[in-house]
Amino acid sequence: MTELVQTLVLSLLVGGIYALVASGLTLIFGVMRVINIAHGAFLILGCFITYTLWNQLGLDPLVGVVITTPVVFALGWVIYRLLVRPIRHAPMSSTVLLTFGLALVTEGVMGLVWGNDSTSIRPSYVDQSFHLGSIFLPKAQVYGGMLAVLVLVGLWLILTKTWLGRAIRAAAANPSSAELVGIKTTAVAALVFGLGLAAAGAGGAITGVLYPFVPGSHYLWIARLLAIVVLGGLGSIEGAVLSALVFGIAETVTAVYISPAWATAVPYAIVFAVLLIRPQGLLGTRLRDDAVTA
Amino acid sequence: MSAPDAATAEVAPPRRGRSTIWLGRGLVAVAAVLLLAYPMLSDDLYYQNMIIFSLVFAIAASGLSIITGLAGYVSLGQGAFIGLGGFTVGILATRHPDTSVWLWVPLAGVVAGLVALVLGAVALRASGPSFVIITVAFLFLVQVIAINWRSLTGGTEGLSLPIPTWDVDIQNWPFYYTLVGILALQILLSWWIRRTKLGTGLVAIREDETKAATVGINLPIEKMIAFVASSVLVGMAGGVYGYYLTFIDPRGMFNILLSVETMLALLVGGKATLWGPVLGAFIVEPLNQYANNNLGGGNTRLLLFGGMLIVIVLFLPNGVLPAVESGLERLRTRGRAGLVGARIGTGGSLASLTDRLSLADREAVVDPPPLLEIKDLRKAFGGLKAVDGASFTVPEGSITGLIGPNGSGKTTLFNLIDDTIHADGGEIWLAGERIDRLSPWARAHRGLGRTFQITRLFREMTVLENVVAPQRSFTWGQLGRIAVSGPEARAAEEILEYVGMRAFRDQKAAALSFGQQKLVELAQVLMLDPKLILLDEPAGGINPVLIDRMTEMIRELNSYGKTFLIVEHNMPFVLGLCDPVHVLGRGRTMASGTPAEIQKDPAVVDAYLGDDFVLEAAATERQEVRNR
Repeated sequence: MTELVQTLVLSLLVGGIYALVASGLTLIFGVMRVINIAHGAFLILGCFITYTLWNQLGLDPLVGVVITTPVVFALGWVIYRLLVRPIRHAPMSSTVLLTFGLALVTEGVMGLVWGNDSTSIRPSYVDQSFHLGSIFLPKAQVYGGMLAVLVLVGLWLILTKTWLGRAIRAAAANPSSAELVGIKTTAVAALVFGLGLAAAGAGGAITGVLYPFVPGSHYLWIARLLAIVVLGGLGSIEGAVLSALVFGIAETVTAVYISPAWATAVPYAIVFAVLLIRPQGLLGTRLRDDAVTA
Repeated sequence: MSAPDAATAEVAPPRRGRSTIWLGRGLVAVAAVLLLAYPMLSDDLYYQNMIIFSLVFAIAASGLSIITGLAGYVSLGQGAFIGLGGFTVGILATRHPDTSVWLWVPLAGVVAGLVALVLGAVALRASGPSFVIITVAFLFLVQVIAINWRSLTGGTEGLSLPIPTWDVDIQNWPFYYTLVGILALQILLSWWIRRTKLGTGLVAIREDETKAATVGINLPIEKMIAFVASSVLVGMAGGVYGYYLTFIDPRGMFNILLSVETMLALLVGGKATLWGPVLGAFIVEPLNQYANNNLGGGNTRLLLFGGMLIVIVLFLPNGVLPAVESGLERLRTRGRAGLVGARIGTGGSLASLTDRLSLADREAVVDPPPLLEIKDLRKAFGGLKAVDGASFTVPEGSITGLIGPNGSGKTTLFNLIDDTIHADGGEIWLAGERIDRLSPWARAHRGLGRTFQITRLFREMTVLENVVAPQRSFTWGQLGRIAVSGPEARAAEEILEYVGMRAFRDQKAAALSFGQQKLVELAQVLMLDPKLILLDEPAGGINPVLIDRMTEMIRELNSYGKTFLIVEHNMPFVLGLCDPVHVLGRGRTMASGTPAEIQKDPAVVDAYLGDDFVLEAAATERQEVRNR
């Protein structure tokens, strides 16, 4: 019983981190219909930047979020302007291939800069735990999960309470009408791409403390993230948050009660299950498509 | 037909310059001879090895060109079939050490084909980017299973295959020539598919899947065939590849980079071409080996593949071959005018329709039976009831009109009738058979044809290809029929002649004007030889001369026995042509009757026509009364 409670609490903490990163992915899709396959790669980039800050400057990795996030945001803004914008009217498969290429390049660059050996960030509290009765909660997990929720709330406030948030939602609903009422959709899209990646970067700073990583870890992450957003309905942030929590539980329970080796199969199994149940596809409801412009 | 029009009808230009074709054929022949002769001319194992790897990717990319190039489904899981083939051979060879390993190679193809069949049944229900996600998920899932199923695959330690026993003098020739043979088969298969009705069907699916279904293309079956055809020979190549490596493990054989390299080979060469994938493989694999051996391996390889993927998507989306070809074409045709301004022909006879015709004496039939019957049809989009209990009939042999204000549900109703959108409830009967549970293609096979308000041609296909794409019924034999020449093409040309668009036969559909597209779309529907033709605003957005021609054709086709249901806002057009006319308001039929009755119906005048609406005839009549 204790083991189960502990497992559930830990998986909810992990789920909070998943929720943050997946929100970024689903936000990008919702506004610009781009499935950013490089999302996992930017999370790992967040890990490595945090590692360098901690290793070279002695900065606490969780405080490092303050630097990691804006850096990855800026990178996302530039990438949108240079690479994504030119093909915004191309079929969605083109942007999938493009961001896939971006993921490979990012992986290669990280390998050249930081090497391909397993890296971990180990601040002083990494081996300490909180004790609640007979439940052990590692401090890093607790801090990390809480920080993730904090950043997620910040993102949510930006999207719902600010002018930028309204502009983003307007651009998502109808780009040409948004242009007509004076929203610069290009600028908004670049900001959204930056924000989405920043969420991945922040998530990277947090998970870097929890798990060791190599440049190639991004495949596991993108599989996980895609499964989460697919389960929650692509484009829906609320759905992503909810399914991230469910996913965190499914993954942790599989790892604890079956075997960690099979936990990696969970995301792929979910993608197939969702598709079997919802044959119209993973991208939410089918829209009226007889009105497509010639 | 007047003389000048006859002249324009004959200037159909050749599709590609003869010289370009012969240049291409010559290059292919030279390359084939070099490939076959190379092992005999040189004993350099480094290059032999490089060619063997390139051959594997050439086969994989050529296979991929069927599902991705023709049908437009981007798969990043193609590498999984290489791995499955490799492991099929590996597992069987290690368990039966006394049997020749070559025996298992065809079996590797069968396994790959079966897996493709199962995966396709699930994955091909999704489209576009979802399909990419699923194929990647599939690849990783297979890898996880292979790693964890140690008793079968050896897990991370992998499997060691028997070392080849033949004479060292012939080096790797058996691998080399087997792969050349498989490549030849794959190219033959790809070549044959793109010439058949199946091939045009697949391209139609790529261009506009919903529309493809309405012209009778059986989506799931044709996509499945394409997916299996993309994987069987790749599985065999994977088997040979595994044998050649003599050591295989799940991390290597199901590496995503195999899929990426296959995709790159396809994109670099040209995804919709026959030889592009082969060319691409022989560009990408040598680069890959160079990066691996001379530039530091792993990470450089990632930069190379990732960078190439980005550059291709951004700057060369069609690949090298099409770019070269269109460059040559531009040189060849410089200074010569295109067909853009050519006149539309005035039509020819429709022997293909009239021959089959048993001209019904409609004067004798007093009360014709309904061909189409709509009963209480309903469709809601969220809270909006677009079609809310519409019921009406279309009598056989009639030209029935359907009018109503904007947003009254006319186009939605059409979409429900041909299942472009699925109805929430109600019944649809066609010629005494209930069709509302049938797929769009099954409805097309039963005699339903439909044009769209905003034309939906397959934009990247030529006019002729657009017209041969429809499939009147589903038979396996028909799928294998050659589409681009022979009887199918002749029938299509005849119909094009009839609508006056034969001169435009080899133009891309996207290059046509809106009015011309309407004519081609009508020809496309006629190719289905439908009993009932639904026309969505046939007179919308086209010039008056063309409207007259359209009226004329509808009348003529009607006299051949075709029944029409027409949605149109052009009142003189509708009221002059149609009888009966149904009026739709708020998703319901609010009135039905002859044009004269409709014009007098106060509800219709109030909701739609407006009280100042008078037809010319009515106006003159009143004028005469006043004059008296």
